Amino acid sequence: MTLFFLAPFLLAPLLPLLDRWFGNKAGWLIACVPILIGIYYGDLWWSLPAGEERTSVSWAWAPQLGLRLTLMIDGLGLFFVLLITAVGALVSIYASGYLAGHDRLGRFHAYMMFFMGAMLGIVLAGNLLTLYMCWELTSLASFLLIGFDNERREARAAATQALVTTAVGGLCLLAGFVLLGLAADSFELTDVLARKDAIQRHGSYPAIVVLVLIGAFTKSAQFPFHFWLPNAMEAPTPVSAYLHSATMVKAGIFLVARLTPALGGTPLWAGTLTTVGAVTMFVGAYLAFFEHDLKGVLAYLTINVLGTLMMLLGFGTPLAVQAAMVYLVAHALYKGALFLVAGIVDHATGTRDLRKMAGLIRRLPLTGAVALAAALSMAGVAPTFGYVAKEVFLDAVWHAPFVPILLTVVSVVSSILLVAGAGRVGIGPFFGRPTQDECDPPGMTMQVAPLVLAVAGVVTGLAPQTLMGPLLGPALEPIAGEPVKMYLTLWHGVGVPFVLSLVVLAAGIACYIVRGSLQRHLAGSLAVARWGPAKWYEWSLAGLYWVADWQTRMLQPGRLPRYVFVTSSVLLLLTIEEIVLRGGLREHYPGIDVRPHEAFAAVLIPAAALVAAASRSRLASVAALGVVGYGVAWLFSIFSAPDLAATQIVIESLTVILFVLAFARLPKYTLASSPRRRLRDALLAGAVGIVLTLLLLQATHEPHPPPISEWYVEHSVPAAHGRNIVNVILVDFRALDTLGEITVLATAAIGVWMLVRLSAQAPAKREGYE
Amino acid sequence: MKSLILQTATRYLFPLLVLYSVFLLVRGHHEPGGGFIGGLMAAAPIALCALAYDVDVARNLLPLRPIRLLALGLATAAGVSIGALFMGRPLLTGSWVELPMPGGGVLDLGTPLLFDLGIYLVVLGVVTQIIFSLATKSPLHWERDES
Amino acid sequence: MNLVTVLPIVIPLVTAIVSLFAWRSLRVQRWISLAGAAGLLGSAVALLVAVRAGGIQATQIGDWPAPYGITFVADHLTATMVLLAGIIGMAVVPYSCASVDREQEEAAYHPLLHVLLMGVCGAFLTGDLFNLYVWFEVMLISSFVLMGLGGRRPQLEGALKYVALNLIASFIFLVSVGLLYAAVGTLNMADLATRVPDLDRGIATSLAMSFLVAFGVKAAVFPLFFWLPASYHTQPAAVAAIFAGLLTKVGVYAMFRVFTLVFVLRDVGATQTLLLVLSMLTMVTGVLGAVAQNELRRLLSFHIISQIGYMVVALALFTPLSIAAGVFFVAHNTLAKSTLFLVSGVVERRRGTYDLDRLGGTYRESPWLALLFALPALALAGIPPLSGFVAKLEIVQAGLEADAYIAVATALAVSLLTLFSMSKIWNAVFWQPPPASEPPPRRPPAGERWLMECPTAVMAAFTVVVGLAAGPLFGWTQAAADELLGPFGPSGYVERVLGEQR
Repeated sequence: MTLFFLAPFLLAPLLPLLDRWFGNKAGWLIACVPILIGIYYGDLWWSLPAGEERTSVSWAWAPQLGLRLTLMIDGLGLFFVLLITAVGALVSIYASGYLAGHDRLGRFHAYMMFFMGAMLGIVLAGNLLTLYMCWELTSLASFLLIGFDNERREARAAATQALVTTAVGGLCLLAGFVLLGLAADSFELTDVLARKDAIQRHGSYPAIVVLVLIGAFTKSAQFPFHFWLPNAMEAPTPVSAYLHSATMVKAGIFLVARLTPALGGTPLWAGTLTTVGAVTMFVGAYLAFFEHDLKGVLAYLTINVLGTLMMLLGFGTPLAVQAAMVYLVAHALYKGALFLVAGIVDHATGTRDLRKMAGLIRRLPLTGAVALAAALSMAGVAPTFGYVAKEVFLDAVWHAPFVPILLTVVSVVSSILLVAGAGRVGIGPFFGRPTQDECDPPGMTMQVAPLVLAVAGVVTGLAPQTLMGPLLGPALEPIAGEPVKMYLTLWHGVGVPFVLSLVVLAAGIACYIVRGSLQRHLAGSLAVARWGPAKWYEWSLAGLYWVADWQTRMLQPGRLPRYVFVTSSVLLLLTIEEIVLRGGLREHYPGIDVRPHEAFAAVLIPAAALVAAASRSRLASVAALGVVGYGVAWLFSIFSAPDLAATQIVIESLTVILFVLAFARLPKYTLASSPRRRLRDALLAGAVGIVLTLLLLQATHEPHPPPISEWYVEHSVPAAHGRNIVNVILVDFRALDTLGEITVLATAAIGVWMLVRLSAQAPAKREGYE
Repeated sequence: MKSLILQTATRYLFPLLVLYSVFLLVRGHHEPGGGFIGGLMAAAPIALCALAYDVDVARNLLPLRPIRLLALGLATAAGVSIGALFMGRPLLTGSWVELPMPGGGVLDLGTPLLFDLGIYLVVLGVVTQIIFSLATKSPLHWERDES
Repeated sequence: MNLVTVLPIVIPLVTAIVSLFAWRSLRVQRWISLAGAAGLLGSAVALLVAVRAGGIQATQIGDWPAPYGITFVADHLTATMVLLAGIIGMAVVPYSCASVDREQEEAAYHPLLHVLLMGVCGAFLTGDLFNLYVWFEVMLISSFVLMGLGGRRPQLEGALKYVALNLIASFIFLVSVGLLYAAVGTLNMADLATRVPDLDRGIATSLAMSFLVAFGVKAAVFPLFFWLPASYHTQPAAVAAIFAGLLTKVGVYAMFRVFTLVFVLRDVGATQTLLLVLSMLTMVTGVLGAVAQNELRRLLSFHIISQIGYMVVALALFTPLSIAAGVFFVAHNTLAKSTLFLVSGVVERRRGTYDLDRLGGTYRESPWLALLFALPALALAGIPPLSGFVAKLEIVQAGLEADAYIAVATALAVSLLTLFSMSKIWNAVFWQPPPASEPPPRRPPAGERWLMECPTAVMAAFTVVVGLAAGPLFGWTQAAADELLGPFGPSGYVERVLGEQR
């Protein structure tokens, strides 16, 4: 299994080569890969005893984190595998015709193959984190494919939008999965599915449901995340057909189906799914009615179907689950065909505007027939598979576990719009008086795939139970958690669904006929849609940029004094609390007796520092700094460190000399800050100084074991051959510090040398500045 | 500011200061002194020369260019540190030899003294380098803001 | 006597000195530099092997017993960090040879680079708080000089802000070390670990806070990160890569070390809560800063800050899993971040600009380069199966286990914005057609391409390898976390250091 799981990823980088060698024929070769993969998994599953799944841990990736590459195949997985591989094979043949001659066709095939691998991973995952990984990879593939035509701004924007929207869901999904894994105490799907009670009793169950569902909703374009899908139509048509209609957008449906046994059965789960699904169903159908772009209509109708599927899964009854799966198959067949037809039409006529197309069937007879067949299936006209699907769908809604009447009304209205939509995309462009004279007939490679899909849609409708039963039955079992008896037939007898179906069809046709005036009359209602979620996305993007700019201007204004001020304030704020408020002013400092010469230093040093800070003359400041230094040297000598004192004195003197040398190169002294700011800075500096002093006073009075310095005193002569302890510490006990410090010195000198050298060369090298 | 007094004083002070710096270095392990102060003391006469005469004069007084001096100093210090590794002992471990001196005394010689010499050279090199750089006549020419 | 613990500073030191002597010949310097980088990498690997095999390694410098002399200690955390420094050094040296201005390269570039590496490795290895300060100084001065080497006004301006703010941090660090020494009378971190628990809680908390400020500046934590965006974007890509990879990580390392060993985070008052809040703000402000940028290096620089937030949040959660996650994150981020800077340099060599509005077309012209960018960029955004995914997963798990829901939500939201700004770069640099006003891209000669793109490619490959080898690597980081927190606290470290006394 691992090999077949990895195969698409490993093959993907090779496809550009294949494309180079075989040209247009490459599509046929590439189509073999999904077919082989489909056959392999099919064989694997059918050799299993009925009703069982096979799990294999392919690779313990990071088992400490529950991160395993586990694959699992069961009826549900296989159902999706066959869907993915079958459509994948057809689309890759189609694509090599659609993009024939494109200089990056090879790369396109590679991305598609990569996507297929990831998508297969989702449906075969036996571990939550494996699933998540593949989930994100499909988003990535979708990004690359939507933006395939990367030199168009719209394509780039749509790609980013799809990526960001699905990433929102992806991150929620990650959080949800981790919570779920913690609640179930395992990330293995078989464990998770078996521990329903533990999960649903867990405190984080509501969070899990909400997070996982947000993940599913973004991927499956549910309201209010649906807006990315119509924009994703910027992608080349094979991508729209494959990712954004047949497979990737079904990942959310799959996820909900997959996790139903663990998470389902609660009001929260069912209510959320039903509500969001029903709203999406209606919104999709409604918006489709006003769209004039061929692919746009198809995209909105896809949203409608995805909503329907979510809603049906939300019901959770065996009938509804069955309806969902049947509907899913029907949709994959007719919508795939219609998308591919749209590509052909686009190619042939150079437009996708429905208002500009008519009478194409004379130029494109085969395509027209395909479109008609697919549209009939979409409208749910017997004897197509779409009809079967619509019957079970309406049946399931009629028997919905809650508010059946309301849901039925919404479903019927949506279905009417769906029928009208079917007419607009499948009939409108092909009949009537031709508007186009020029028309490029498509090649064979582009005709095969839609034909196969459309024919399948009709044939399966004739004998639904025989053809789809063996596949769908086992797919339902893992969702319902028990073997489901299902029986599909073309003729259900006259019942409520049949009547509803007739109503839908009649009203739909009427709707289609009067579409022009309906669109005009209802156009006002679109104002609402204009302020819908797509706008929210724009607003949040604009808001994000605004906040980002604002906070960056606030935080990073580019002025050093401000940075120093903030840094010092933070130090003050963080240290002041413990020291001053809690312990700093305790009676901690008994017997500080100051001797006169110490007092001298204690007065001299701060005074000189004040002068240095306040002086308006550089020379005076430096001199005052020198005094500070000499004061420190004085302190050193008081505390019996004569060589430190001497070093300090020499350093101070040299520093003063260096400062004076450097002054020659500085511009005139100017006062850069206002008096108020100087006062503020002085107060802050003073406060920091006071707090540090208090801290020091307290620290020195802490009782502690003998300091390490005592050891130095003892061991300096016997162990280190030196009576000057300071020197012994410097060159022996802690010589490494010294080694580091002389490196610092040397580096500084190199820096000065290089800077001066570079700038000395500057006038010659840099276009004779001054 | 080429004052004759300063020049004359420098001429007399120069050897004294150099000798004093070496003295500080040598006695540092037992009495106040050491590589740091020694190096500074050695740099002082060079700085004086630079002030009294000219940077070029001062430059010629050094046996090596400052950058070489500090490289040499670093090399000495690092060499001493690493030497211990070759003797199979931890980095920077000191080794001592006791040389009997005429008159009953013992001269205690150890690698830490060499380390101190390294410090001396680095400090001398650093200070002279900075002085020479800053005292060089050509002013800094920074490019105006390019952006 | 434990050679492996000191070689990572000895080798760069020797390299720096030798190449300083060879300053007249750039050719010789380059070879020395390359050999030194290889040696450092080799010694880092040796160190890691020794730690894996024999646990914590320690050596008493100068053969003086701890806590009186300076001890060099290597546990898993240290070994990992040193290895990262070795890898980055090895990648940056050849890259520099092709990309840094010749004038700048001749200006002691290679010696300085190795001094920087020495400072970084010293900081990772030392077991002494004052010695840590010294290594910080070594890093600071060498990075400052490297920054200023270009000599252009924006570079010097950036360098000035950098050095001013970092000197303040150094001052705070030094004062804190002094205060701590005054309070407990020792500097060896293992010894401190035994003495600090007896210290008055109030003063311990204050000292912990002041160390937090000092390291916070070094690590570029909110609101102390000003120096980073002010200075990194003026650097040549090679320098920016090494800075981005290592400098802030030393601050993070210091936090991990000090707040697990000296001040155990949960014992010092509100420090843990404070750190948690700061880390979240760091993540958010960093990524928002990145969103606001339109220049490649600036954008990447702000991302460094944001990513630092993740590491600090891992520390602040203070569970074994979160510490392991933090170490893993540091490793992942160091590699990914440096790679991105390296890629930005390659782009700049072709297009002559870092301005997103003026770039474009690279996708068509060099898909290979697009891949090199995509891997670390996606890793940074935490896309599986790359290194960042595992790092993010660990932090999310650790956070959810510790019930730190807000922190997890912040981390996830920030990773969304990270992905968003990576896609912004991708759109601008790779996808969009270049503006018509731009000159055609320069075709770099083959030699330059080899020198620049090979290291970049190897680094990019690391993001995949680290992601795929997450199991064993996470094992390391767990070992690191065990040593830091352990069932019995850091007693293993203390025993190893103080028990070395002869």
